[in-house]
Amino acid sequence: MRNPRRNPRRTPQIVALGGGGFSMEKDSSLLDDYILSLTCSARPRVCFLPTASGDADHYVVRFYRRFSALCDASHVSLFRRDQGVDGVEDDLATHLLSQDLVYVGGGNVVSMLGAWRAHGLDSVLRRAWRRGIVLCGPSAGSLCWFAESLSAFHGAPRRVRGLGLLPYSNCVHYDAEPERRAEYHRFVAAGMRPGFAAEDGVALHFRGTLLERSVSSRSDGRAYRVEPAGDSVVEVPLEVDQLGFAQRTPELEAVGAVA
Amino acid sequence: MEPSNPLLDDFVLSLAPSSAREPRILFLPTASGDTTTQIGAFHARFSDRVCVAEHLSLFRLSESRRPLQEIVLSQDILYVGGGSMRNLLAIWRAHDLDRLLICAWRAGIVLAGISAGAMCWFEGGITRSSGVPEPLPGLGLLSGSLTVHADGEPERLPVWLAAVRDGVLPGGWSVDDGVGLLFGGTDLRRVVSSRPGAGAQRVDLLAGELVRRRLQPELLGATDHASGVPPPSQDEDVQELRRVQRMRRGISGERGERFGGL
Repeated sequence: MRNPRRNPRRTPQIVALGGGGFSMEKDSSLLDDYILSLTCSARPRVCFLPTASGDADHYVVRFYRRFSALCDASHVSLFRRDQGVDGVEDDLATHLLSQDLVYVGGGNVVSMLGAWRAHGLDSVLRRAWRRGIVLCGPSAGSLCWFAESLSAFHGAPRRVRGLGLLPYSNCVHYDAEPERRAEYHRFVAAGMRPGFAAEDGVALHFRGTLLERSVSSRSDGRAYRVEPAGDSVVEVPLEVDQLGFAQRTPELEAVGAVA
Repeated sequence: MEPSNPLLDDFVLSLAPSSAREPRILFLPTASGDTTTQIGAFHARFSDRVCVAEHLSLFRLSESRRPLQEIVLSQDILYVGGGSMRNLLAIWRAHDLDRLLICAWRAGIVLAGISAGAMCWFEGGITRSSGVPEPLPGLGLLSGSLTVHADGEPERLPVWLAAVRDGVLPGGWSVDDGVGLLFGGTDLRRVVSSRPGAGAQRVDLLAGELVRRRLQPELLGATDHASGVPPPSQDEDVQELRRVQRMRRGISGERGERFGGL
């Protein structure tokens, strides 16, 4: 299982975090453990993409602290490729396509997608997904996989096109930033495609393009399917499994797909 | 931004329109990924000068929801930091900032920058964004190409000369560390330097041959040096670059920011 190319029929999987994982939760590693379990590898190859943070050093350090004991951990820096000693030196595509898991960090999704395009990573990640390399991440690392999301970075919120692997819209930090929920509703009501909203600490696990399961590191973590209804929207709560309590193996017991 | 040599930065500040009593100067650290080091160096340089100094981050969430257009077009000077030229241009494009910068230039806002932040205004430059030096198109406000660090990173020069010879890049300028080119409109007006001995050259392809012409920069602050102030070290910003690289490779303290989702 170490080399994904030996197993071309693995189902594409994406785990989109509303927020959480090693970058945000000090004590909880439940979401990261869940994600690692999807790789079905004793020592998975995990590559971190901190592009959305501008390759912030402290973020990269935290990644290694969390993953290097359990995994063959590496990261790809798109800002320091001239230095040749930091992150990955060989061909980016070859490196990324030999991973079991690609973990995308949070930050600014627009800047990240711009930089990815400039280095050809958008098409590499699409190939990685098709090969069954698990893709995951919180915030910007969630939004990027969907067809559309909202950015309110400077000025009025606007629609941002993502890689479109998942044919929905996405909203993260649904509980943490109250205006965001209202803005997301307004955009979906005004024609943005229906999608999924997740609170901090909640992960949406997709197999192919279908939602397989929603899990949370918190007892009260919530996620919703948001759809237009007339001039407004409906928010359909999803069943969210709390991790850490009688946890089942996700490969064997899947909760019914909602999408 | 040379740590102990403010001559080029003061020169940039002097270009603000005289109507601006306290010129507004905005730093764009995009090419570095908005590193704290670069942002800190900018504020250290400009905070005690007569100006209003701010920076624009395209990675970190700010409290401000001011539209980019309003932030950018209200400045007198836009100062672009160094780093990855490829990332710089791609990220600007993603935010539609390339278009805004062209508007700013047409509106008479002074555009300045170092390294990637200098080459970006030309038709093309030589970047090491992907490791080895290679030609990359810029915004094309200024005709011709530019290559930087001609003395500090000599491996760029042959790549640039080959690109000009092969017609991949148009002819243009090669500058040493510490040298600034001032353009009024699209015309080169002055070649200035913060260090004695630093040089620049113009290279053109004429009838299949590279023709090189040396340009002698005016030494800024020459009166100070004449009065006994020792000239700054030749290698200061190379040393700064190495220091920054060391810091970035090593484990720096946690900045404690949370990366929000936008």
